[in-house]
Amino acid sequence: MAYFQARRDFLKLATTGASATVVIPGSLGALGDVALRGEDKFIRSICEMCSSRCPMEARVVNGKTVLIQGNAFAKEMGTSLCAKGVAGASQLYDSQRLVKPLIRTGKRGENKWREASWDEALSLISTKLSALKERYGARSVIFSAKTGEQYDLLRSFASAFGSPNFENSTYILNFGHNLFEGLDIPLTKAMAHFSADPSKKLVVFDPRFSVMASKANEWHPIKAGSDLAFVLALLHVWIRDGKFDKKFIEQYTLGFDKLVESVKETTPQWQQSLTGIDAKVVERIAAEIYTSAPRCIIDWGHKATTTKAEFQRTRAILMANILMGNVEKEGGIYFAKTAERINALADERVAPELNDPYPRPRVNEPRIDGAGEEGMYRFVSRSHGVLQAIPDAILAQKPYEIKGWFLTRHNPLVTVAHPQKMKEAMEQLEFIVVNDVYLSDTAMMADVVLPEATYLERDEGISKSAFKTPTYMMRNRIVAPMHHTKSLIEVMRDLAERMGFGSHYAWKSIAELRAFQAKGDAELLQTLLMRGVASFDVPPLLALQPSSVERFCERYPKSSVLRDTQGVFSHFLRSLKTPSKKIEIFSAEVEKTFKGYGVPRSVDMDVTQGHPYVLTSGKSAVHTNGHTQNIPYLNMLLSTNPIWMHPSTAKAHGLKMGDTFYLQNAISKEKATVFITEGIRPDTLFAYMGFGRDAPQLKRTHGKGTNPSKLLSLESATLCGAMITNVGVTIVKA
Amino acid sequence: MAKKYGMIHDNNLCIGCQACNVACRSENKIPESVYRLQVWVKPEEYPNGTLGYEYHRQSCVHCENTPCVSVCPTKASHVNEDGIVLVDVDLCVGCLYCVAACPYQARYVHPITKAPDKCTFCHESRLSRGEEPACVTVCPTDALVFGDLNDPKSKINKVLSEKVTYRQKEKLGTSPKMFIVPNHKGGIRS
Repeated sequence: MAYFQARRDFLKLATTGASATVVIPGSLGALGDVALRGEDKFIRSICEMCSSRCPMEARVVNGKTVLIQGNAFAKEMGTSLCAKGVAGASQLYDSQRLVKPLIRTGKRGENKWREASWDEALSLISTKLSALKERYGARSVIFSAKTGEQYDLLRSFASAFGSPNFENSTYILNFGHNLFEGLDIPLTKAMAHFSADPSKKLVVFDPRFSVMASKANEWHPIKAGSDLAFVLALLHVWIRDGKFDKKFIEQYTLGFDKLVESVKETTPQWQQSLTGIDAKVVERIAAEIYTSAPRCIIDWGHKATTTKAEFQRTRAILMANILMGNVEKEGGIYFAKTAERINALADERVAPELNDPYPRPRVNEPRIDGAGEEGMYRFVSRSHGVLQAIPDAILAQKPYEIKGWFLTRHNPLVTVAHPQKMKEAMEQLEFIVVNDVYLSDTAMMADVVLPEATYLERDEGISKSAFKTPTYMMRNRIVAPMHHTKSLIEVMRDLAERMGFGSHYAWKSIAELRAFQAKGDAELLQTLLMRGVASFDVPPLLALQPSSVERFCERYPKSSVLRDTQGVFSHFLRSLKTPSKKIEIFSAEVEKTFKGYGVPRSVDMDVTQGHPYVLTSGKSAVHTNGHTQNIPYLNMLLSTNPIWMHPSTAKAHGLKMGDTFYLQNAISKEKATVFITEGIRPDTLFAYMGFGRDAPQLKRTHGKGTNPSKLLSLESATLCGAMITNVGVTIVKA
Repeated sequence: MAKKYGMIHDNNLCIGCQACNVACRSENKIPESVYRLQVWVKPEEYPNGTLGYEYHRQSCVHCENTPCVSVCPTKASHVNEDGIVLVDVDLCVGCLYCVAACPYQARYVHPITKAPDKCTFCHESRLSRGEEPACVTVCPTDALVFGDLNDPKSKINKVLSEKVTYRQKEKLGTSPKMFIVPNHKGGIRS
């Protein structure tokens, strides 16, 4: 926090500036600046400085600077954008970014390179990949990329719930979904207006006094890992007192009796020792929420801490919402309204539907991380995957031999648990390609590094983003790629051609890809080119809100036949993707594979592994997980990550502000410095993530701060495969 | 009628995310060792032992009664017709009286021009295009309101009539045109 109260020259300490004496091979600094080719009028596109993917617009001034702001054609955005988004140009012309392909000349990881032409790099990749395919089969190569971090682990039972509807809610319970330090503009803005409104109530549970906590009516420094216990106690109180939406439970859910059974013992007294929160607080909050229902939200989004029972925690929170009957009601939570859903309800073509442009010829191969397969990660969406499962798969060569890896713009050696093991696994591989803007820690392990065009230099296909109405967005190029860098789509399409399977694709260029996706809908494409977003004049629909359903039926008369006697679309909640088509409070499918997980219950909440402290980590408002720490404008705001520690803890270990110490557990021993603050539990430590970088080519971040991932275990959360982002540690004096 | 530009910083909506800071740097090409605008997130301990953060906007407050202009021997520091306090680099002799006189520590010496520099409400780049200052444009939470205090129908006057505001160091008589909506959160028990 106090990091931002810097003296003017304090900010300078971490920057070596563009005039570094040793230039990085293949970097913009080595190849020389070029004029930016782009127009001084706004082009609308999509941000990529984090996973939120906010709509934005930018213009080029004098061929020298790019000015970026939010895209007001997306109503919920206005012209707003966060620090990372506004700093996009600082990445574009960072002298340390890569603009030329690199081929390894030394040993793997030795960081010796030569520059190569695109043709040489791509032909080397196609030859190597073809050889691996011939010798070991196509499945011997892993492809991975940073996806949008949608919270899609729940997709398997309840279809994806969309976003909570903050603006019409009156009471929000927040378990560390820190929208004020991990920004997603439409949600952050709605939450800011919510928390600033004195008539609303926000209650935050987080072991740390976050910015979110500072905006709350109440902050409860809950013990790390114990969200589940608190929610189970809430469920207990509501069921004990009969204070829940009985009609909703009866009409739309299955398995309530199993929940009654599983929360019988989870009383407010029971949770006291687990959460550190007084039983009376549970009773009071339970009563307050019930009074405000259904205009209440128990937010299951990004969390402050994770346990092996992450699946249970998130599902318990979802059940708390369901008990309050706030689903598809004003001020509650709702399902994303995709074009497909809206068109089906309206029984006419209200919004265009898209073609899927990416053929998947090998869907029958088992996945090495097991996502979507019978077994450990049965319920992980296949589009999400389990990165922590990769090292073991490589080292054990199971379920089959892995020999190659193609990574795009993600940095598992910084962001994924136990990078030491990941590195060991990478050393076993025959061929690694990394496609990235920087010569990152992970890129250092590659055979070929491809300099990716930044998002400001890329045209891409159409992406979907449905909230209360269907919306499409499209990334449009703002400046011509510097030194002919390429996008992943261009690289993969080129490789497909070189490797002889170009005919799998229905398109050759981005223009063709877009036309194919849009099914030739010229009006849609025109809108996306001009405005960057396309929304359709559809009245926002909440299926269980009579006034909302009435407006919808007036507009689309054919939908009236679907309206039930109470004037709502009740069938909407009885045609879900679950086996029973209803909301399954108890899931027989889950219970079959993971005994005890079919219904929310108290399991696996330990996060200390016998150590006295829990090291947690999280985002700051000025950095993305592992990508932005070296970008000049952002690095000057936060360039290292001293560990947050309570004054009583610091005193017990004889540590003063800024002192060096070690964090130690069975996995590693890492050097750190201390930042003393009242804003954290005495038994908890906190680090902003993404620091402690080993890559010498990231000159601004190299050797600064601590990488908490190095202390994390590779063990994942049961069933959903979520990475466990905190771990037990001991403080050791330096 | 001449304009009188002013700004509101709402401490309740502000989350200290530094989007304004980066937008200002990007728009005005501010060298990395200095800044025109930062938001300081200040941990506060309240008398009852509770915690809170205050979000302080550190930048020029555009006084009506301007110490920086009064002390300038060459009229390099001046107030333009729209009430914006500016520095004319060509007239500046580098005496730095203005830097010393500013009660808000809003001025720094630009490492290239060697003249004092500060917030200009983006008047040369954005106001002339009909746009709002960069910080106001990008603010993720609508915590900043900009407008003409002489226009009774402007948004800034509307917000001033609805919300309680104060100005920094009012007792000095500088009459800043930067209005602050005080934080009503904070004081949270740990």
